[in-house]
Amino acid sequence: MSNKTLIENIMITPDKFTVVTPEVTLVTVLERMSKFKIGHVCVVDNQMKLVGVFTDGDFRRLILSIQKPLPALLSDDIVKYSSTSPKTTYVDSDFSEVKKIMAENKIWDLPVIDRDQKLVGLIHMSSLLK
Amino acid sequence: MGNITHTSSLNMVPKVVNIGHDEKVKKVTIGPGNPLALIGGPCAIESKDHAFFMGEAIGKIVTELNIPWVYKSCYDKDCRSSPESFHGCGLEDGLEILSAIREEFGVPVVSDFSDTSWAKATGEVCDLVQIPAYLCRQTSILRAAAETGRPIHLKKGQFMSPWNMKNSVKKIEAAGGSQIILADRGTFFGYNSLVNDYRSLTIMAETGYPVCYDATHSIQNPTSMGNISGGERQFIPSLVRAAAAVGIDALFMEIHNDPKNAKSDPNTVINVKYIKNVLIQAKAMHEQRLELISKLGVDNVE
Repeated sequence: MSNKTLIENIMITPDKFTVVTPEVTLVTVLERMSKFKIGHVCVVDNQMKLVGVFTDGDFRRLILSIQKPLPALLSDDIVKYSSTSPKTTYVDSDFSEVKKIMAENKIWDLPVIDRDQKLVGLIHMSSLLK
Repeated sequence: MGNITHTSSLNMVPKVVNIGHDEKVKKVTIGPGNPLALIGGPCAIESKDHAFFMGEAIGKIVTELNIPWVYKSCYDKDCRSSPESFHGCGLEDGLEILSAIREEFGVPVVSDFSDTSWAKATGEVCDLVQIPAYLCRQTSILRAAAETGRPIHLKKGQFMSPWNMKNSVKKIEAAGGSQIILADRGTFFGYNSLVNDYRSLTIMAETGYPVCYDATHSIQNPTSMGNISGGERQFIPSLVRAAAAVGIDALFMEIHNDPKNAKSDPNTVINVKYIKNVLIQAKAMHEQRLELISKLGVDNVE
């Protein structure tokens, strides 16, 4: 018997957190983040392939650096501000290995993809503590 | 642990708008990298004879300068300041005249419409349908324009910020429209006054759609004369040069042979005798900009 805890058994599914296409505006993204109470957004193309992530931290840093008026910022497409090379894990990975990497990188949320690079879920540390 | 790297889609794919719905007219392509096009003509259709006279006069100039042209004139002016003002020749007569203009001059035509019930008929004749600036966020109008299946000339309202025009674009897209030109016609600067914020051209171009500069409405002083709008035409040439340098795909001008006696917008329409000079400058600035882009690439300051 294996003691492995597979990612697919502990991840949350895309209906439980914010998943948007690149042209969705920042204001819509922020509203959805608040609704789900998860500060992590996955940006996907129309094939569900992950093209970026956007987090509460990204928004905090953005607010401190952006020079344009707030209404203009809120109207911008999310892809403009999302990280385009996010860390990810595979659905069939072992959680004990992934946990170490998340701890080292101080990551609380990690997108889960399948072998076709499609988004299938999110490792959300807060929900694991319940 | 996977690590995905993607190129950013920050730079939208530039879209090109093709105007001309049958073989009777010379098709006009408006969009990045294409020659600067003129969308121009008398503000209102005053009579068939006048419409043809203006078609002849403008046609001669754009042919000489090799400038793609869409003939603009409206059959109904619903945003007049006064109930006494000329309201237009009406839908039926207007579209008949525009249809005759297409046949006679082989030029695509555009009219605006301010009532959803006029959209279908307008789209059946016009190669481009225009949404008046004051109505630029009216969902029913935007949807009706999209349902014509024709390219749409969408003017930024004088009260709108350029980034909020994206909402109107999305309404058109949601209704199936995919050919849009966004125009700047000035922004309210206090009461009875407009100013051009040229950043709006760059910001609206971020949608990927072509942008247009409306020169004759930008110099308007809205309803500054009590029951009619004033205007300061002397600024047209310099503002056009600036717009073309910033980056536009089309130039819009309302043109008349006798502005003082024009039935609509007499204080803003430009006399046809000046347009050759303005167009030469606009074309030169546009070509210079395209040449600079080919040498230096697009603007990349972050």
